[in-house]
Amino acid sequence: MKWKTVAAGFAALAFGLVPLAGAKAQDYPTRAISMIVPFAAGGPTDTVARLIAESMSRSLGQQIVVENVGGAGGTRGAGQVAKATPDGYTILLHHIGQATSATLYRKLPYNVLTDFEEVGLVTDVPMTMIAKASLEPKDIAALVAYVKENKDKVIYGNAGVGSASHLCGMLFMSALGTPMTTVPYQGTGPAMNDLVGGQIDLMCDQTTNTTGQIKAGKVKAYAVTTKNRLKALPDVPTMQEGGVKDFEIAVWHGMYAPKGTPPAVVAKLNAALKQALQDPKVIARFADLGTEPVSQERATPEVHKAFVASEVAKWKPVIEQAGIFAD
Amino acid sequence: MGRFVRSPKDVVTGLLLIFLAAWFAWLGADLPIGRAIRMGPGYFPLVLCGILAALGLIVLLTGLAFRGDVEVDEDARRIAIPWQGMILITVSVVLFGLAVRPLGLGPAIGLAVFISSAASRRFTLVSGAAMAAVMVLFAWAVFVHGLGLPLPMLGPWLGGY
Amino acid sequence: MEIFDHLALGFSVAFTFQNLFYCFLGVLLGTLIGVLPGLGPVPTIAMLLPITFGLPPVAALIMLSGIYYGAQYGGSTTAILINLPGESSSVVTAIDGYQMARQGRAGAALATAALGSFFAGSVATFLLAVFAPPLADVALKFGPPEYFSLMVLGLVASVSLASGSVVKALAMVVLGILLGLSGQDVYTGTPRFTFDLIELADGIEFVALAMGLFGMVEIIRNLEDEHGRSVLVQKVKGLLLTKEDFKRIIAPVLRGTVLGSFLGILPGGGAMLSSFAAYSIEKRVSKYPEQFGKGAIEGVAGPESANNAGAQTSFIPMLTLGIPSNPVMALMIGALIIQGIVPGPNVVNEQPNLFWGLIASMWLGNLMLVILNLPLIGMWVRLLTVPYHILFPLIIGFCCIGVYSVNNNVYDVYAMAAFGVFGYLLVKLDCEPAPLLLGFIIGPMLEEYLRRAMLISRGDPTVFVTRPLSAVMLAMAVLALAVVLLPSVRKKREEAFKE
Repeated sequence: MKWKTVAAGFAALAFGLVPLAGAKAQDYPTRAISMIVPFAAGGPTDTVARLIAESMSRSLGQQIVVENVGGAGGTRGAGQVAKATPDGYTILLHHIGQATSATLYRKLPYNVLTDFEEVGLVTDVPMTMIAKASLEPKDIAALVAYVKENKDKVIYGNAGVGSASHLCGMLFMSALGTPMTTVPYQGTGPAMNDLVGGQIDLMCDQTTNTTGQIKAGKVKAYAVTTKNRLKALPDVPTMQEGGVKDFEIAVWHGMYAPKGTPPAVVAKLNAALKQALQDPKVIARFADLGTEPVSQERATPEVHKAFVASEVAKWKPVIEQAGIFAD
Repeated sequence: MGRFVRSPKDVVTGLLLIFLAAWFAWLGADLPIGRAIRMGPGYFPLVLCGILAALGLIVLLTGLAFRGDVEVDEDARRIAIPWQGMILITVSVVLFGLAVRPLGLGPAIGLAVFISSAASRRFTLVSGAAMAAVMVLFAWAVFVHGLGLPLPMLGPWLGGY
Repeated sequence: MEIFDHLALGFSVAFTFQNLFYCFLGVLLGTLIGVLPGLGPVPTIAMLLPITFGLPPVAALIMLSGIYYGAQYGGSTTAILINLPGESSSVVTAIDGYQMARQGRAGAALATAALGSFFAGSVATFLLAVFAPPLADVALKFGPPEYFSLMVLGLVASVSLASGSVVKALAMVVLGILLGLSGQDVYTGTPRFTFDLIELADGIEFVALAMGLFGMVEIIRNLEDEHGRSVLVQKVKGLLLTKEDFKRIIAPVLRGTVLGSFLGILPGGGAMLSSFAAYSIEKRVSKYPEQFGKGAIEGVAGPESANNAGAQTSFIPMLTLGIPSNPVMALMIGALIIQGIVPGPNVVNEQPNLFWGLIASMWLGNLMLVILNLPLIGMWVRLLTVPYHILFPLIIGFCCIGVYSVNNNVYDVYAMAAFGVFGYLLVKLDCEPAPLLLGFIIGPMLEEYLRRAMLISRGDPTVFVTRPLSAVMLAMAVLALAVVLLPSVRKKREEAFKE
C-alpha cells in the first residue's frame, strides 16, 4: 500500500535528523543573527540596515544576515519579529513607519509600544520638498502662497500609503491647512519619473533619493524638513526659514528586538550598535546618503522607547485628520 | 448529457466563470466604489466581475446551443484524471510550506520530494528516499552554501534556528 | 567622434583582469539562478550586495548587471525544457519552446533563444551607448495616459497568446486581472481579496502563480498517462539550427530586438510587455500562424530577443536619470549608494569610468553568455532523457524552494499548490493559462494608470485621445481588437486552428 510507504519515509526522514541540542548560553551571540528589514532590498532603509549590519558583525564576531521581509507597509516584517523567539537572534531595523503604523493600521496583529524591546535609534534621514523644474514659485514662501491659492489644483505625488513621502505630504497639508490632490505611486522610482517628466507638481522625499536630482537641476528644491540646513545641500533653506512653523520630519531609523529579549542581550546589541555609529566607514557612507548617525546619547534603549511613544502621539492626529488608513 | 447540452465542457466552463465572477463580487462587496473621477478600490473589480460574468454567460450559451469541441472530448474520455498523483503533489507542496519554518529547509524539502515522488507508478521506497537525499544535499550545496539564502537547514523544532 | 573615445575608455575599463573576472562570475551566477526555477535575480543580487562592499564600484556593478542579464538567458532554459517559466519574460518562451522540446527540438529552441538573445543584447547595448540620453527623455514623455493606452494595447495583444476560443481567452485575461488586483490598493491602502491575511497584503506572488499554472499543471498532466508520456523526448533531432530554421528566425529576431529595445526603456514593466508583444506580432505576420502554440520557432525567437534587448535598455533610465525602472534596477541603485556614488543624472559625467565600463562589459558579458550557453545545450537536452518519474519530484522540490525564497513567505507556497490544482481544472476545460498570466501582470498597472490619469486630468477622459502618443496607441488597440472580434476574421481563425 502506497500510503504506508509514504508514512515510513516520513518517519525515516524525521528520525534521521535528530535534534541538535540548542545551546542557550550567556556568551551571546554564538551564531548568525538575522536582521529583518521590512522593505524590499535596495531601498534606503535596506541600505542603512546593510551598512549597520556589516559594521556590527565585525564587533559582535558573528555575521548579521539582512533578511528582507517586505509587505504591508513594513508591518509584515515587524510582525514577524514581534512573534519571533526573544533570544536576540532575530532583530528588526525599521524606520518612522514603526510609529505611524500604530495609527495607519487599525487591525495590526501586534502592539507597537509593548511588543518590542527598543535597542536604539540609528539615524535620521532628512527629507526635501521638491517640485518639477518648471513650477512657478521661486522659494518656499512663494510656494506656500501658491499652494494656498491653487489648492487641489496642485498635484502632490507620493510613494504609497504610509510611505515617508506620504507622511511628509500629510504634515505639509496639515501645516498649511490646505488640501492638495494626492497621487500615490508604487514606490519612489515611478513618482520621481513623473516629477522629472513634469506630470506631477510636488513631492517630498528622503535626501537619499533626491540629492542627485537636485544637484543635476532636474527638479527644484524648495526646503529641507529638518531644523537646520544640510551640509550636502547648503543652499536649500529649512521649512522654518520659509515661514512654515512647526514643520519637522525626518525618516528616523531604529533597531528593535522582540519583547522579552534578555536585558543582557539587548545591552550587547546596543553596545555594538553604538560602536557601529562611530565607525568612520558608516559615518562616511551615511554622509553620502545625506545623513549622519544619531548621537551616542540618543542611541540608547530608553531614549528610543520614549521617542517611539512620542512619535506615535505626534502622528495619530495628523493621520486621523487626513482620514487615511491602510486597512 | 442531455439533448440541449452540446458541449458539457463549455457548460462547465461558463458556470465556473459565472461562479468566479460572483465570488469576486461578493469578496469585494464592501469596497467603496467611488466615481469615475476619483475611483474607489471597488470600481475596477466590479466592472471586471460584470465582464467576466458576461463572458461566462456567452460560453455557457455556446455550450448549450452550438457544436462543441467533440474531437477533444474523445481524447479526454480516454485519459483518467490522476487523482492520487494530484493529491500527493499538492500535499507535498503544502507540507513543505508547513514544515519549512519549524523544521527547516532540509526536512521540508526532503519530505516534499519524497511524497511527490510517490505520485508516480514507478515509485519505490528506495528511489523516493534516494531522490529526497539528493535534493537535500543539492539544496544545501547550492541554495544555502553556494548562494547563501537565509534558509536554515534545521528549524527551531530540531534544535536549529 | 566622441563615442569612440567613450567606447575606448569603456573597453579599457572592462578589459582589466578583475572586471573580466567579475563579469564572468556575474553571467555564470545569473545563468545558474535563471536555470533554477523560481530563484530570480532580485533575491540573488540582494544576497550578494554585502560581497560587493569590498569591490570597487565598477566591478560591483559589472557583476550585478551580469547576474541580471545572465538570468534572462538562463530563465528561458527551464521554460523550454520543462515548461517552467521562472520569470514573467519567459512565460511566452514556454508556450512554443516547450512544444518544440516535446517534438525533440529542444536543442533548436535553446539555440534560437541563445542566438536571438545575443544579437538583441548586442544591438541594445549599442543603442545604450549611442542614444542613452535622448532615449531616456522618451521615458519621461510617457505620462499616466500613455501608460494606460500602452497597457490596453498589451491586453488586446494578449488574447492572441491563446490558440483556442477567443471568448475563453478574454475570460482568462479578465480573471487574471482580478487575481492581479489582490493586495493593497495603491490609492487608499484598502486590502482587496486578501481574506484578512497580512501575508496576502501584497497580493498574489507572480512566481507562485506562474509555477502553479505552468510547472505543476504540466506535472499533473504528465501523470495522466505515465506510460505514454514518461519519456518526454522520443528522439532528439539535431542540436543546432537547420538552414530553414535560420531563415525563419532572422526577421523575428530583428523585430523582437527593435520592440524590446524601445519598450525596455519604459519604467514599470516595459521589458515584460515586450516579450508578449513580440509574440503576438510574430503570430500576426507569420506565414504559419497555425503552428503557434504547437512549436513555432518564431514564437521563441521574437520574444527571447525582445526580452533580452529590454533587459539591456532598462539600464537607460537608471544610468542616465538615476530612476529605477524595475526592482533589479532599484537594487543597483542601492549598490551604488553603498559604494558612495549618489545616483542621478550626473553619474554619466561624473563617473565616465563606471558608465562606459559597464556598457562595454555588457557586450562582453553577452558574448560570454553565448559562448557559455551554446555548448551547454547538449547537456540540457540530455537532461530530458532522465526518466520523468525521477525528474518531476526534483522539479517540485526546486519550485518549493524557489517560490519560498522570493519573499520568505509560506503563503506563496500554498498559493502555488492551489493554482496548480486550479490550473489543471482550467486546462481540462480548454482554458489556456498564458492570457491569464498576462492579465495578472498588466491588469493592476492598467488600473493604477487609469486612476492616476483621471486624478491628474481632474476626471477628464479626453486626456487619452488628446495626447498624441496615447491616441496612437489606443487607435492601434481598437484596430487589433476589431481584427480579433470581426466575425469573418474569427471564422478564418477558427479554421486555421482546426488543423
